[in-house]
Amino acid sequence: MNRHPTHKCVLALILTLLLCPSAAQQDPHAGERGRMVRDQLQARGIDDPATLEAMRTVPRHLYVPAGQERYAYQDRPLPIGYGQTISQPFIVGYMTQLVQPQAGQRVLEIGTGSGYQAAVLAEIVSWVYTIEIVPGLGERAARLLQEAYDNVAVRTGDGYFGWEEAGPFDAIVVTAAADHIPPPLVNQLREGGRMVIPVGSPFQVQMLMLVEKQNGQVTTRSLMPVRFVPFTRSRED
Amino acid sequence: MDGPGKQPRLIISLGMHSAAIIAFQLALMQLISVAQWHHFAYMIISVAMLGFGASGTLLALFRSRLLGWSPWLVPLLMSLSGAMMMGAFAVARLNVFRFDVYLLFVDASQFPVLAANYLIFFLPFLTGALAIGILFIKNARHIGTYYFSNLLGSGAGGLLALLLAAWVHPMQGPVLIGLLSVGAGVLAAAGRRRVLLLLLNLSAIAVAGLLMKSPSDIPLSEYKSLARTMNLPEARIVHTRPDMQGLIQVVASPALRYAPALSLSHAGEAPVRKHLFVNGDLLGPIPRFGPETSGHILDHTTMALPYVMKERQSVAVLHAGTGAAVAQALARDARRVDAVMENRGVLRLLQTCFAEETGGMFLRDPVHAWATQVRHFLASAPAGHFDLIVLPLMDAFGGTAGLNALREDYSMTQEAFSQMWDCLLPDGVIAVSSWVDYPARTALKLLTTLVETARSKGVTEPRDHIAALRSWGTITFVLKKEPLDSAEVQRIRAFGAGMFFDPALLPGLDASERTAYNALDDPSLLEVMDRIMAGDPEVGRDYAFMIRPATDDKPYFSQFLRLDRLRQLGDAFGQQQLPFLELGFLIVLVTLLQGLLLALLLILLPLYRLKRSPRKKTGTLLYFGAIGLGYMFVEIILIQRFVLYLGHPVFALTSVISTMLIASGAGSLLSDRLRATPRLTARLALAVAGLMAAYALLLPPLIQGTLPDPPACRILISLLVIGLPAFVMGMLFPLGVRHLSLRDSSQIPWAWGINGCLSVVSTSVATLIAVEAGFRAVMGVAIGSYLLASAVFFLHGRLFGERTG
Repeated sequence: MNRHPTHKCVLALILTLLLCPSAAQQDPHAGERGRMVRDQLQARGIDDPATLEAMRTVPRHLYVPAGQERYAYQDRPLPIGYGQTISQPFIVGYMTQLVQPQAGQRVLEIGTGSGYQAAVLAEIVSWVYTIEIVPGLGERAARLLQEAYDNVAVRTGDGYFGWEEAGPFDAIVVTAAADHIPPPLVNQLREGGRMVIPVGSPFQVQMLMLVEKQNGQVTTRSLMPVRFVPFTRSRED
Repeated sequence: MDGPGKQPRLIISLGMHSAAIIAFQLALMQLISVAQWHHFAYMIISVAMLGFGASGTLLALFRSRLLGWSPWLVPLLMSLSGAMMMGAFAVARLNVFRFDVYLLFVDASQFPVLAANYLIFFLPFLTGALAIGILFIKNARHIGTYYFSNLLGSGAGGLLALLLAAWVHPMQGPVLIGLLSVGAGVLAAAGRRRVLLLLLNLSAIAVAGLLMKSPSDIPLSEYKSLARTMNLPEARIVHTRPDMQGLIQVVASPALRYAPALSLSHAGEAPVRKHLFVNGDLLGPIPRFGPETSGHILDHTTMALPYVMKERQSVAVLHAGTGAAVAQALARDARRVDAVMENRGVLRLLQTCFAEETGGMFLRDPVHAWATQVRHFLASAPAGHFDLIVLPLMDAFGGTAGLNALREDYSMTQEAFSQMWDCLLPDGVIAVSSWVDYPARTALKLLTTLVETARSKGVTEPRDHIAALRSWGTITFVLKKEPLDSAEVQRIRAFGAGMFFDPALLPGLDASERTAYNALDDPSLLEVMDRIMAGDPEVGRDYAFMIRPATDDKPYFSQFLRLDRLRQLGDAFGQQQLPFLELGFLIVLVTLLQGLLLALLLILLPLYRLKRSPRKKTGTLLYFGAIGLGYMFVEIILIQRFVLYLGHPVFALTSVISTMLIASGAGSLLSDRLRATPRLTARLALAVAGLMAAYALLLPPLIQGTLPDPPACRILISLLVIGLPAFVMGMLFPLGVRHLSLRDSSQIPWAWGINGCLSVVSTSVATLIAVEAGFRAVMGVAIGSYLLASAVFFLHGRLFGERTG
């Protein structure tokens, strides 16, 4: 019996373990992210594999303000300044799944905010174009996104007119609160494309609006992330 | 202090200082309302005002020492209070103390900052109240005169605050007010102390000069609409105007557009408009109108519904705001437009600085602008006159997080809609729109109000009189006096199809039509609407939010929270997000709880000292607590009644408060000449209870009957109605103090503290009772309070007598 190869394998294994940092040390939040995906997304019906994988991958804690990292993977939105929030993980996952992201797609985002939604989309689609109206937020998000992704273009300015030269888009995500949906954005949505708009006050997204363009008609659907059962009789019936 | 007897110098300085305290309270409310929201301002002020209660506690615990030092302590405290008034808000705006009410429920680190804010605003009131308390105790024999000065000064302080709000920047108001208190302190000092105090205050005066010269900006919550608007590219404030009804600011930005829930079929651009804010909250866009104007952006929203049905000749736009709906009516060729604008300052601005921009629409025919309250306008408008009565778009995109929950709105009550109906032509309509909220609340409450209105006017089938059109964001209801005809129904359908809007209510509607363009994942909005239209009596009980119509007795249209459903809502939305459903109500609840806890502590602490008192303390606690509570409850009831009667909310509020304080002061002055017997005090308290019971029955018909009378007549009636009970109420505190001074003067500071604590707590108690049970219940508690006060003195032997055992 020749023991030499076995000894060499064991030695190689020991040396690998000693010299290479463990996966946990490289990414101490990986476990938290995994639990976030399992408990906050999958448990609530998010089942698109690409979305789940993207949420497992993107380090959300990098996109929250300094000092808030310990809350990054909790089931809640967090303030990011300028009257804006980074949405709770479930809402980000839900919105991502709603736009039905796929490789090869071009997606426009109005309201970069923290940059987290753009990062999640960038994991899946071919191109993400994102516009933020607040310079302070836009510049920070641009730094984070451009370090990690080469398929994200960030612009600071008024997103009212969209990004005409890069359109039409397969999907548009509008997180910037405004009292109407700018007609240029509707024009830049390709036929059959989907637009998603979260609706609600800061710290509480109450509804997601899905806008679809089919055969010259633009229709909407109001989706309730949290199902509210209004009265007992409907449960008893 | 300087010997027995009344000291004119002290009486005058007390009046000046009292004016400063009340003016500072109101100025602070204004400042914090701009920076945060009204309810949060109230939360801060209620703790700050506990300074009155705390002063009583300190006096009870350290009475002899404080009274011994009073010759120099009183002037010093007045001056110190003044200096703190000048600097309090400037300190609170430092970064380390910056607080945001929105973050209170998501960031625990806000709590110590909130506590620091409480302390900053508490100290001016504590020091000021301590000075007043010492004067009262030292001069208990002449308490009537001193209390008169305090009340008269307080009344004048209310008027002073109003004048300052109209003339100076909100950051400058507290500076001037603080100077008044400093001046009071200098006057109160005698001899050389005066010179010393003046020298001591020179630096404060110098700082005041600097602050007046360059007032700093008011730091806004980043979640206020003005703050978020200022983040837009090239956003700048182009006009600022202080006003009695709030600070008016106009913002311009090339990214600022107005097109609420614009149709998705509209290919054109939404117009860029300057926006007008009052106290940091958006009021509306500055409309453009001129000969070149064709059409209006609102014609591409559900708000075009009443105009689609037929042409409208005479239109009343209630709560016209900045006039967007007025411009729409003009663009639709209305022959006469009555624009009711409650904010006189905004109207003046639109008629002067922005006259060119608005095409002078508020200066000439066909627009008639009325700077008055909606109910007043409706009461004076001729019956059967209007083609269309339009109400403003309610709520906001994304909701308002319930911050308007406890705002009284008499234009959205059952009685108001009844008045609107009476003002309509036979084929006239009432049109009201709201953003679609989730869970559905506003739209449902609007519908119950319209249905109840129709039924109360003899309509047996409301579904023949009500139409509703829903877009992706808004829903517009119309209630027509006559049944809708088939031509109108056709026009509504055609308009909806062209705009990608769905009819939500229409005679002969097919279910599939209701979600053809805008589907709803949750069908409850339409299901509950159907139950309301069918007259289901259980719908109000079943639904998890309050959707029964508001009434004049409970005029809180935007109050939807049902306390019995809190758990269900917490389970559905999560505990952390629950507060953002109805933030306003929760803030008042928190205000009450913190006030009760602190008041309890402040009331119980002095008992440690008083346990040696030979006299019972039950009578003191019950009597001074009852009159403290009762006075504020009566004030709140009278404000509620006279806001409707006098036609101008700010004017009415100031009139009631000032009249009450001045009348109470006169009563207090007279009480000095009366013998402070238990029987007299009991009878006077009983008289107040009887008067309020009479008011409960007679005041509503009196107000209704004299509402159309000329202003001079109504003012006279108001003075009599408000002044009479206030005059008697003003006697009760000094009589009680004189009674105590004869039996056990060590309890006087405690009595002062109890009265102060209950006065503060009573406002939030009254608000919550009014919301849950209506103003009649508030009246009931007021009557009960004075009955209790009366009973205390009828049983005085048992309650004030010697302790046994």
